[in-house]
Amino acid sequence: MKKLLVFWSLFLWTLCGVPLNLMAEEGVTKTKIHIGSWGAQTGPGAPWGAVVRGMDAYFRMINEEGGIHGRKIIFHSFDDGYNPARTLAGVKQLQEGQGMFAYVGGLGTATGMAVVDYLMERKIPRIGPGTASIRWVNPPKRYIFTNYAPYLYEARMLIRYAVERLGKRRIVVIYQNDEYGRGGLRGAQKELQVHQLSLVDAIPVELRDTDMRPHVFRMKQKKADLVLLWVSPSHAIRILGSSKAIRFQPRWLTTSTVSDCSFMYKLSKGLFEGVISAAFVENPMSNSHPLVQKYKKAYQKYAAKNERWGVFYLAGFGFAEPFIEGLKRAGKDLSRESLITAMEEIRNFKGIFAETTYKPFDSLDPRSRQGTDSVFLIECLKDGISKQLTPWIKVQ
Amino acid sequence: MSQFIQLVLNGIAAGSIYALMAMSLVIIYQASAVVNFAQGEMALLTAYLAFLLLEQGLTLPVAFGFSFLFSFFLGAGIEFGILRRARESTVISKMMITIGLEMVFIGLVSWKFGADPKTIDFPFSPYDSLMLGQDIFLSFLEAISILVALVVVITLYLFFRFTPLGIAMKASRQNERAARLMGIRTKRILMITWGISSLVGTIAASLLTPLTMHPYMMWNPLLKGFAAAVLGGMTSLPGALIGGYMIGIIENLFGGYLSIEFKEVVAFAMILLVLCLRPSGLFAHHYVKKV
Repeated sequence: MKKLLVFWSLFLWTLCGVPLNLMAEEGVTKTKIHIGSWGAQTGPGAPWGAVVRGMDAYFRMINEEGGIHGRKIIFHSFDDGYNPARTLAGVKQLQEGQGMFAYVGGLGTATGMAVVDYLMERKIPRIGPGTASIRWVNPPKRYIFTNYAPYLYEARMLIRYAVERLGKRRIVVIYQNDEYGRGGLRGAQKELQVHQLSLVDAIPVELRDTDMRPHVFRMKQKKADLVLLWVSPSHAIRILGSSKAIRFQPRWLTTSTVSDCSFMYKLSKGLFEGVISAAFVENPMSNSHPLVQKYKKAYQKYAAKNERWGVFYLAGFGFAEPFIEGLKRAGKDLSRESLITAMEEIRNFKGIFAETTYKPFDSLDPRSRQGTDSVFLIECLKDGISKQLTPWIKVQ
Repeated sequence: MSQFIQLVLNGIAAGSIYALMAMSLVIIYQASAVVNFAQGEMALLTAYLAFLLLEQGLTLPVAFGFSFLFSFFLGAGIEFGILRRARESTVISKMMITIGLEMVFIGLVSWKFGADPKTIDFPFSPYDSLMLGQDIFLSFLEAISILVALVVVITLYLFFRFTPLGIAMKASRQNERAARLMGIRTKRILMITWGISSLVGTIAASLLTPLTMHPYMMWNPLLKGFAAAVLGGMTSLPGALIGGYMIGIIENLFGGYLSIEFKEVVAFAMILLVLCLRPSGLFAHHYVKKV
C-alpha cells in the first residue's frame, strides 16, 4: 500500500511537470543552465542580429571548455523582428514554457522596454542588454546589469570631440525617430549646452523611410559643418550618398551601432572614409588582442558558412562576458540571488568591452548597475581600415 | 528658386522608382483585378539573383540579363502554377495567395543571403552627380532612374498599342469572353501579362541595387508604388507614372519646406484626399452602366 502511494505520488508529480530537484533555481539543473535572449534576424533591425549569433558561439565555446562549475549553458534565442509585441510574446513563451534562469543581451531599446516589467516583477536577471539606453539604469533596477555605455554618453563624447578637437560649431543631428535615436539626440544637446552652443537642427528619420534626399537638403540649407548620424547602417549610407550627390560634404560623426568600419566602407563604396564613430568593443581586425584572437577562433569553428566576422558578431561575445564572470563567482550553488550578489562583486573586469565595475544595489546610484561609461573613438580610413583616435575614455 | 528645382528633381528621381512599381501593379490589376502584394518581393528575389550571379563571376549585363529573364518566367510561373490552380478562384483569395508568396520570398532571401545589407557595383558611382545649374545636382543613378522609367512607359505604350500581343492583351482585359471567341488564348495572355509585370518590378529593384540591398528593401517602394497606382486610378499606365512622380515630388517638397516628420504619411494622406474627391483616381476611366 505504501509502495503504491509513493509510486502514484511520483507519477502525478512527474505528470504535472514538477522538477524533481525542487531546491534548484528555475532554469538550472545539475548539468544545465537555461539562458534566454532575443534579437531581430529579420526586418529593419536585422543587421544588428549578428550579436545574438556571436553570443551563441561564445556559449558554445564556454561549453566546450567544460561549462561553468560542471553546468553547460543552453542558449535559447528567438527572432522578434525588432517588434516589441513579438519580444514580449517570445519571452513569455520561453519563461512559461521551458523557464529561463536569466536573459543575456537582447537587442533593441523599444523591444527591451516591452519586457522590462515582466522580468523585473519575476526577479529574473537580465545581464548585458544589447542596447545602450539610459532607461535600464535610470533609475537602476536590481536585476539589470549593463556593460555598454549609454548612447547619451557616446553622443556627449562625440560632440565634445567635434567642438574641442575639430572646432565645429554648426552641428546637426540626424536621428532615428525612436528611443534609440533620441538617446543620441539628448546626449548631443546636453554636451552642446556645456559648450554654450546649441544644435543648428535635429532631423528625425523614420525607420522605413528610404528617401533621404529631403533630410540632406535640409542639412545643406542649414549650412551644417558637422553632422552626427544616429540612424541604421542602411540609412547612414543613403544619407552619405545623397549628400555626395548634391555636393554637400560636412564632417560626419556617428554612433557605435554604425561603427563597423570595414563593412560600412565597402557598402558605401568608399563614402565612409573619414567618418568618425564611437566604439564600444575592441577592433575585430586586431591581431594583437588575445581575447579577440580567441573569439575569432570560436567564430571560425561555430559560425554558419556565410557569417561575417565584424563588430556586431564580436559584440555578442562581449555582452555575455560579465554574465559568465558572474556565474564563475556565484559558485556551484547557483540561484538568481547568488548571481546578483556575485555580479555586484565584479570590479574592473576587462574583456573586449570597456572595464566593467558594479556595486551593491543602490536605487539612487545608476552606476551600481551601469558597468561602464567608457567609449573610444575611431576614424574610418581608406580601404575600411579603422584608426583608433582616442583610448577608452570615461565620459563624465 | 534653385532649392525648389532641386527638390522637384529629387522628387522626380524618387518618383521614377514608385512609378515603375505602380506600373507593374497596374499591369496585373488591369488584367485580373488582383492587387499583387508579392510584386515587391518578386523583384527582390530577382535582384538578389543578379547579386548571386555577379558573385559567381558573371559580368553585370549577363547577370542582369539572366535576372530579367528569370523575373519574366517567375511572374508567368506564379500565374500558371499557383494562381490558376487556386480552388477558390476569387479575387480576394488570389490576393491572399500573393500575400503568402510575399512572405515566402522574403523568407527565402533572408535565409539564403542573411540580413546584412549588400550592394552591387555598377561601372559608375551612384553618388557622383551632374551639375545642372547653380546649386542644382542630379546623381547619375537618379538620371538613369528617370530615363529608365520614361523608356519603360513608352515601350509599354507602344507594345499595347501596336503589337499583336499587346492588342490581344488589351482585348483580353476589356472583354475576356469576346477575346476568347475571337481566337485569343486568354489564359496564356494572362500568364504573359504576369511575366511582363514582374519584369517591370525587377527593373525598379535593379535601380536600387547600387545603393543598399536588404531583404526589406522593396517594402517602401511597393507601398509608395501602390499609393501612386491608386492615385492614378489603378487601371491607367500614364496615371501610374504621373502618380509616382506626384508622390515623389510632393514628399520631397513637403519634407524640404514643411515637415520631415510627416513626409512619410503624405502619400497616404493624398490617397485619402483623392479617394474622397475622385474615387476612381485621377486618370482612370471607369465606365458606368445604365441599369
